[in-house]
Amino acid sequence: MKLYNVKLLTVTCEILAQKNVIDILTKHDITGYTAYEVEGNGARGLRGQGLKNEKNVKVEVIMQEEKLQDVIEEIARTLFTNFAIVLYVSDVGVLRTEKFV
Amino acid sequence: MDILELIQSNLLTPIVLFFLFGIIAARIKSDLKIPDAISEFLPIYLLAAIGLHGGIEMRNTGFEAMFVPMMVAIGMSLLFTLNHYQILRRLGKFNLFDSYALASTYGAVGAVTFSVGLSFLKNQGVTSEGYLAAILAVLEPVAFILAIFLTNMAVSKQIKNKKKSLGEIDSSESELEMGVTETKSNLKQVLHESITGKAIVILLGSIIIGYIIGEEGFSSISIVFDELFTGAIVIFLIEMGIIAGQRLDDIKKVGVFLISFSIIMPTFNGVIGVLVATVLGLSLGGAVMFGLLLASASFIAAPAVLRHAIPQAKPSLYITSALGITFPYNIIVLLPIMFMVSSVVHNEGSIDLFHYLSEGLI
Repeated sequence: MKLYNVKLLTVTCEILAQKNVIDILTKHDITGYTAYEVEGNGARGLRGQGLKNEKNVKVEVIMQEEKLQDVIEEIARTLFTNFAIVLYVSDVGVLRTEKFV
Repeated sequence: MDILELIQSNLLTPIVLFFLFGIIAARIKSDLKIPDAISEFLPIYLLAAIGLHGGIEMRNTGFEAMFVPMMVAIGMSLLFTLNHYQILRRLGKFNLFDSYALASTYGAVGAVTFSVGLSFLKNQGVTSEGYLAAILAVLEPVAFILAIFLTNMAVSKQIKNKKKSLGEIDSSESELEMGVTETKSNLKQVLHESITGKAIVILLGSIIIGYIIGEEGFSSISIVFDELFTGAIVIFLIEMGIIAGQRLDDIKKVGVFLISFSIIMPTFNGVIGVLVATVLGLSLGGAVMFGLLLASASFIAAPAVLRHAIPQAKPSLYITSALGITFPYNIIVLLPIMFMVSSVVHNEGSIDLFHYLSEGLI
């Protein structure tokens, strides 16, 4: 079967920044995403222990390359300074490209 | 009983001992942990129990009695928040965002502290007014709203000044207007989130249900919501102790100023609260709880609200000081102090204190 090239954006951030990330996605007409709670260690110390509000979350979004630049630019500009957040982009192949506008 | 004895006997209650035990468990790096689901469930349970008791009490006393204390509590909470800000900004030299975040954390109320206070009073065989639960619910968002409003005002003032220096100022727009428009969307969100937030919803819901069912209806569920109350706090405080213990190293990072602030400020606010409540005619226990409302700092609700509203502020500062310093201080030392003050002003322990003082003098 033919696979179409799209981008996978993965954002690992503190759980309280999840809403901000989703809001940015919605602003760019991206409604589909997958999020799950994670833990780990990073520049802001060991995360995922203790209070629920201090847990980390991983948000995965598949999108077309055209939108990607705008989305990551906005996430970087609005969230990088104040939140514990890491993002990276990878190439993935999907079968139904029309699902990921 | 003098104040040191009271502190000592409070230290040996299961609540405090289990809290200290949690801290030790975290320090020796034990993997002891209360499961997530339970530590999320317990605050809900505690608030439900507080609300039910409050509602049942209010059925007996009516709503009129609570109006004045509630208004006074709101006014004092706002005043204290402003006062905290001035102290933190001018004396502590914190930046604007940290100052407002900390000011509102200490202006807000702590539901866990409130539960511990209730069980402390129960231990002393003293009751408190039921409507204090309603004040707890109303007071929760007040300090945050003020801090968010003032932060946005200050930020738009800065932007305006910057524009002025660049010579592109629109003179028709005042600081206030800019502040108000900036704040509106933010405040709407915060208001919505705190009013529909689980803490207020369960608290208000249980107050209403408690009011409807009264003593008779409560008897069938009292085994869960009355007798288990202190035990549930104990389990929750193991978790709080573990989290506080994990943060002990961070306390060094917050600095001497904030450490002293987290001890002196609650003492000041709490004692003033006890005195004001006494003037308002609250009972011995009621005055202690009123003081505790003003003395406590929020560490569960605060991060959720402040991370969105004032993301520039460092959460490590306000969570660590509220949970690591103020909470233990409040439940171990300040509660007995406020109880003592309240007893004195209610003319019940005055002779004891007189003896204590005179012995000290001689």
